[in-house]
Amino acid sequence: MIETAGHLPGLPAGEVAWRTLDFSAWGERVQVRVPELTAAQAGALAGHVRAHARSYLRTLPVCQIVATLDAAIARLLDRDDPWRRRAEAVLPIVTGYDRESVRLGLSGYLRSFRAPQLQRFLAEDFANPAVLDGFQPAMKGGFTRAQGPQLLLHIWAGNVPGLSLWSLISGLLVKAGTVGKVASAEPLLAGWFAQILAEIDPKLGECLAVVWWKGGDAEAERAWLREADTVVAYGGNDALAAIRERVPVTARFLPHGHRIGFGLIGAEALDTRRAGPLARLVAQDVARWEQQGCYSPQMLFVARGGAVSPREFAERVSQELGALSPRHPRRALSVAEAAGIAAWRSREEMRGFDEDGIVVLGEAGDGWSVVFSEAAPPLTPSALNRTLKIVAVDTPDAVPPLVAPSRAYLQTAAVAASPRELFRIAALLGEAGVTRICGFGAMAAPEAGWHNDGRFNLLDLVRLTEIEQSAERAADGFADYVD
Amino acid sequence: MSLGDGPCGKARADVTQSEIIEALLAFIERGEASEAAFERMALAVFAYQFAHNAPYRRFAIQRGRTTLTVRSWRDIPAVPISAFKTLTLSCTPPEAAERIFMTSGTTQGGVRGKSHHPTMSVWSRSMLVNFRRRFMQGREWIAMGILFPDEVAMPNSSLAYYLALAKRECGTPDSEGFIGAGGLDLARLIAVLERAQASGEPYALLGASFSFVHLLDALAAQGRRFSLPEGSRILDTGGFKGQSREMTPDAFYDALSAALGVPREACINMYGMTELSSQFYDDGNAVCPPVKSGPHWIRSRVVDPVSGRDLPEGTTGVLVHHDLAHFNCASAILTEDAGVMVEGGFRLLGRVDGADSKGCSVAVEEFLRAARG
Repeated sequence: MIETAGHLPGLPAGEVAWRTLDFSAWGERVQVRVPELTAAQAGALAGHVRAHARSYLRTLPVCQIVATLDAAIARLLDRDDPWRRRAEAVLPIVTGYDRESVRLGLSGYLRSFRAPQLQRFLAEDFANPAVLDGFQPAMKGGFTRAQGPQLLLHIWAGNVPGLSLWSLISGLLVKAGTVGKVASAEPLLAGWFAQILAEIDPKLGECLAVVWWKGGDAEAERAWLREADTVVAYGGNDALAAIRERVPVTARFLPHGHRIGFGLIGAEALDTRRAGPLARLVAQDVARWEQQGCYSPQMLFVARGGAVSPREFAERVSQELGALSPRHPRRALSVAEAAGIAAWRSREEMRGFDEDGIVVLGEAGDGWSVVFSEAAPPLTPSALNRTLKIVAVDTPDAVPPLVAPSRAYLQTAAVAASPRELFRIAALLGEAGVTRICGFGAMAAPEAGWHNDGRFNLLDLVRLTEIEQSAERAADGFADYVD
Repeated sequence: MSLGDGPCGKARADVTQSEIIEALLAFIERGEASEAAFERMALAVFAYQFAHNAPYRRFAIQRGRTTLTVRSWRDIPAVPISAFKTLTLSCTPPEAAERIFMTSGTTQGGVRGKSHHPTMSVWSRSMLVNFRRRFMQGREWIAMGILFPDEVAMPNSSLAYYLALAKRECGTPDSEGFIGAGGLDLARLIAVLERAQASGEPYALLGASFSFVHLLDALAAQGRRFSLPEGSRILDTGGFKGQSREMTPDAFYDALSAALGVPREACINMYGMTELSSQFYDDGNAVCPPVKSGPHWIRSRVVDPVSGRDLPEGTTGVLVHHDLAHFNCASAILTEDAGVMVEGGFRLLGRVDGADSKGCSVAVEEFLRAARG
């Protein structure tokens, strides 16, 4: 199977050099051709996108953009649509995630980009979204208009399918000329989405491009960075630092670093009736995208004092992971990933020799691994790929000090607690640096309009133009109807 | 006595240290070992370690392996090398060790793995018998230049000990080291290389891979090249470890060959570890990666690190080594090196630690890097 990645309006495919990336999983292979553009081609493409965005995208009312996005998302949600069928066939091979997970994950994810959700998205950041279409009266007086970037560059990373759509859609909502650089680990979905948009509205298709270069290729990156006035980048701190160094000081740089998620379960959630379903939800959060998402849990804090002890709960989670395994087998691991899991597991085993109260659950050869600890260490990453450390705490109040040292990496925490407790503990977690608190089972599905990393997805992209009252008053003096 | 010849199930727990040493020295001298002979010796060493090394016993029991359940050398549980950092894996009181070798501590925030050696007799015998066969290749002596600090400067370095032993036992009297407190003594080394080139006698340079990079850079800066006499050879080991710029193996051996006039097939890479008492060698680096192999008292497997099960020949996995000479610690170790079994040995494919996240969740390595600052 051969797939072609990217979306290059205005560039004849024959003039572009292509490189082939090989993927194999689940007994199938796919070759993905990715474009390798010259600096001149990058410059021409940037100019094309910028010009069409100015002459077309900026003239569209935001509600029309919402309608077009909704139509494109509808095609990706329709299991009979050829694009959707292609995604379901190819993405498991490219990413290694099993078919069921890709199918469920995609649907769950795409649902948050339907028209009502996109409107909520807009309403979250703009009291009056019409501010994107024209000048609107401001509370303080005068008028305000929000303008997106002329050229917004996204640098995506990682193999979680569709992660790119968050920022891609955000950029289009603010009418930005858009160029997205896909990750080598999942180079397809963003380009497909761009092509679907182009099928629905060919003129809109001229306003965005999807490109590729090898991650860390400074020269290729520089060619694009000098074109963009806003850069959204995903990746590890080292990669982000390298990009930041190359971003012109006049451009806006919006980095999204890697994150560590965790869960917190209060004693009130641990009665014999609730613990089972809760353990199932924890297992689903762990298995979804093999913990590769920024929102994925890597550690679970469980309060003592419930009918079900933390140790028993750990065993239930382990059993639920075991039950998920036949239907959603773990993706094939690289040698390095497998070695990472073995090292993590044996480190915990060794620790168990010195301390009582550390138990490694399950067999080494299982497709998941749960470690239980009676003593609660500070938050640390697991080995990912269905590895979870579950630790006991006396009260939920013990948790914020354990996660606070990782402030720079915090984002999502799932909390199972009574309403009063939820709000009390949320305040403490927020202070520690957590920006998203959700229920178990929803960790990998942020709700529409969420604030990624606690920031404004849309507002961070725009620049306001304000007409102050003085200009308005002065204009009155120049009117032809003035006395 | 001959431990390897006893019937299975004999009360091996009674074996003393001096008996196991005697048996191992005899085993090393025998020149070769069949699978069955290796197995007998391996089971005897495992029984000794199971009886006298308490942390290893706990580890083995945790893995469901005891002297009763282990039937084949492949069943002997392999200790991950990270365990040498957290556990004292020694059959004898650690304070009684003649030598303690430590890892450089570059990978885990300065925590160093330790191997205790109550006597260096087995280690030294293992090293010499194999070194003569694989590096000396029939020569009794060769003039040696050592590109690594000496034992006095690095008393806990197994490589410093190794190189000192090589120089003492196989080097001509004028062999010398060129790395001192001030780093590489380039002027003295150039003088020696000039003399060696003029003498027509083969010369050997041995040292850390990164020291060779420093040498290459220094020679390039001066525009110097040598053409060492036929029979000259190079031994590098250990990789670059962030101590020099990184080079691909092909670029490295091409540069060595060009700068010193030693053909790539006479550039031998030694693969050794602090957590072992024996070394692996290749037969030159004309083609990279070359096949590595060890002597008859060490055997290797390539496993799936998660399950610990053997992978078929030709499949990449993680290397497990069973080094009978590492009798005081744990003879079976799970490395952090990727490899693939091939005819005549294995190919080494680099380190496997520190897989980064494939997505946007933070992985252990990045987290630790940040924590270290």
